[in-house]
This record gives sequence, structure tokens and C-alpha cells, in this order.
Amino acid sequence: MRHALVIFATLAFTALPGFAQARKSAAPPDITGVYKSISSKTVLPGGLKNSGTLADLPLTPAASQQMKTVNLNEDPAKVCQPLGPFRMMARESTKIQILPVPGVVAILFENLSHGLIRTVYTERGHPAKQSPLWMGDSIGKWEGDTLVIDTNNFSDATWLNDAGAQHSNALHLMERVRPIMNGRYLEYKVTADDAKALTKPYTYIRYYEKLNSEIGEDICEEQE
Amino acid sequence: MKARLLSFLVAICLAAPTLLAETAPTAGKPKSWDWTGYYVLARTRALQGTGLKPVNEDLDKTIIEHLKPWAKLKMEATSGDADDTGAVCKADGIFRNPPFAGRFLWLPSTDMIAMVFHEINTAGVHRIYTNRPHPKNPPPTWNGDAVGHWEGDTLVVDTIGFSDKSWLMSAMEPHTEETRMTERIRQVLDGKYIEIVTVVEDRHALTSAYTYTRYYKKQDSIEWPENICAEDLGNWREWRKKALDKQYRESKLVK
Repeated sequence: MRHALVIFATLAFTALPGFAQARKSAAPPDITGVYKSISSKTVLPGGLKNSGTLADLPLTPAASQQMKTVNLNEDPAKVCQPLGPFRMMARESTKIQILPVPGVVAILFENLSHGLIRTVYTERGHPAKQSPLWMGDSIGKWEGDTLVIDTNNFSDATWLNDAGAQHSNALHLMERVRPIMNGRYLEYKVTADDAKALTKPYTYIRYYEKLNSEIGEDICEEQE
Repeated sequence: MKARLLSFLVAICLAAPTLLAETAPTAGKPKSWDWTGYYVLARTRALQGTGLKPVNEDLDKTIIEHLKPWAKLKMEATSGDADDTGAVCKADGIFRNPPFAGRFLWLPSTDMIAMVFHEINTAGVHRIYTNRPHPKNPPPTWNGDAVGHWEGDTLVVDTIGFSDKSWLMSAMEPHTEETRMTERIRQVLDGKYIEIVTVVEDRHALTSAYTYTRYYKKQDSIEWPENICAEDLGNWREWRKKALDKQYRESKLVK
């Protein structure tokens, strides 16, 4: 009987809210919400700030040469076309809504023309065969509190930066997204790899502030 | 006896955190409110044998019968080529897509449900807020301000605050900022389909409200097929330029 009481006491302790919280902390954090990328001038507590600009990409000679031939009036950003995740996530004031549901973490952009939607599949690998995609094929998994997104299978339709740097269909993105400061911010870190366009992988970091407001209707065409 | 008591206590202790967690606020929601998935419009032929039947499938005809004279005149004066914003990959609101193309992701969260249309460039996202009423004076937008509440197993969605820029259907039927759309959404046939019964009112543009019913089949996978409007940029530019030129010429004629 004494044993039974000890076991009961132990198990009862595990049922306390604090323990339940501890058990929950092993589950991925809830990153549902609306977020906006902070200005490059903002420094967060601990000295955290955006790093990397898309103007200094380590382009291969061929990619540099190609960039010079690009008509900047054809920039997808000027004609309300999708910019692709690498360029879109780097922009100042980009507003996103994250909606995780079973099997998918959906990332909706307020500017739908430029950002569209990203669907990060969390319960499958990359398909063996798939047509190239503007937004690429994204799969995600949680490593502790970090959502790790692996994206490949890009078409070469989008650009890497405002200067017209092109990527190839070999572009591969590894993104790490994690909530910091009790979920008040998201840290977004991406490394782009493209053997045809970049001499070495390139990484930038952006911080996104969680907003209490709703996401709006940002119609690109109305700003033309 | 001791063993039985021990098992009982163990079961209680293990279940406690789960029981506590499940008392999260779900007030008003039916038991199976999570309809997460990708849904595709099922037309009459695809619904044969299910007992389900869309109502007012020829929606243009239905709407035109309800238009006030001025709205009918405006419709007749409107060019389906030049004034169809959706045809050139611009926003065209949420009236036309669901009853005609009707493919969407259903993404629920605690306070809001997002219906993300496959034609995202043009129809965008229908965000249904379940945690608040309408703002007092919502600014006019393409997709309006949508709020939802549960009536049993049915989600009732009320949308107001539309701008008057979109058309009600493909024949370019106009509406005003007074438009109100009510949708009654529920799962049917064990969750294989979503039924949406829509009522559209507009005291300025319509003689009376019109209604239609559509069914959307839940797909086996939540896979979202990428859809880029104007994938071929060259063709699109040419097409868009023609449409805009025509629009410009016609606006000059009107003046």
C-alpha cells in the first residue's frame, strides 16, 4: 500500500499544471500570428538586428554578367509578380500571417501579388518528380523550438535582388524560424545555395515583430 | 483490490494533463469544427448519386434577374474584356470565384478561419473572424469584413464592407458598397463535402436577395497546387496592354 501511495504521489505531481506545461514545452511552439519585419535600423535587446543585404550576394562571374543584361523594368516587384521567398522575406515591412495546421505551416503574405502563399509541408519529403515552382517545394520539421524549412525545386522565374541577379533552378534554401523574447519576435535565418549563381552559400537574418493587429488587404495593383 | 486501485490512480494521473488541456475555449463550436483541408468545387455531374444538388448553377442568369434597371444598364455598358480585372491577374473580389472555380484551402485557427482561394492573385483570402463583431465603419475592401459564429454544426458568416470595384459574376453585374453576403457553411456526408449556402443582398443594386448553394469536395491531401496568374510574363504583358488600351479608348469615348 505504501508503494501504491508513493506511485500515486509521483503521478499526481506529474498531473499538476506546471508539469503539464513542461510536457507541453517539448511540443513545437505555437507561432500562429501576424508578423512584420523590423527596420534594418532597429536593434533589439541583446543587440539582435537584421544582418545581410541582398545587394552583396557572392555572384558567380556568369551570374554577374547576366545581371548586367537584365532590364530592370522587368522587375517582378514593379509588375505585381511574385518575388519568391528569398527576396520577399528580406524586405523591410513585409507582413506575414503564419497559420500552422496539421500537415502544413501556411505563410500568407499581406501583399498577395508579391508574396502569395507559402505552404510548408510538415508530414512529407520532397516529391521525387515535380514541375519547377515559383515558390519552390517547401518541407519543414521542428528541431526543438525552431522550424527548419528546406526548399528546392525552384523555377528560375524570380530574382534574387532588386539589381536583377538571377538564380537558377538549382537554388536551395534552408530557413530556420524560431520565436524569441517570449514569442514577441521571430528570428528568421535563411541560407541560399545555388552552385550556378552563387560562389558560396549566402545567409541573411531578419527579425519579425508579432503584431496584435489583423492582416490587411494590400493590393499591389492599386499602388501602381 | 490494491492493484485495481493503483491502476485507477495511474489512469487518472496520466489523463489529467490531457483533460486539463482539452478544456481550452471552444465555446459555441461544434465537436468537429476543424475542417482543415483542400476543397474543390463539385458540379452537378460529380455529385450524382450523393443526394447533393447545387442550387442556381447558372448564377449569371439568377443575378441578372435580380438586378435593378441602372445595374442592368451598367452591366450592358461594361466590357467583359476591358473591365474584367481578374482576366488580367488583378484583384477581382470574392463573389465570382467560389461558385465558379471554387478551390480553396480551409485553414482554421483559434480566432479566425482563412479560406485561401487557389486563384490567390485575384480572389485572395476570405478571412472569417470568429472573435469579434464587425468594426463600426469598416473601410471598403475587395473582400469585405467577414465575421462568423456557430449555429449548431453550421458556421454562419456575415460579410460587409465591400468596395464597389468587383463584379458579382462573369457577366459584369455591378454591386455597391451596401452589399452584404451571408454564408451558411457546414460539413455534409461525414465531412466529405462542405456545403455553402450563400445569400447576397444589396438594396441599391438588387431588387431582392439572390441565393445559391455549392458543394466542395475535401481532397485526400492538403497539397496546394501552385497557381501563378500570368505565368508567361511576355504573353501576359501583351494581353494586359491590349485590355488596358481598350479600357482607355472606351473611357475616352464615354467622355
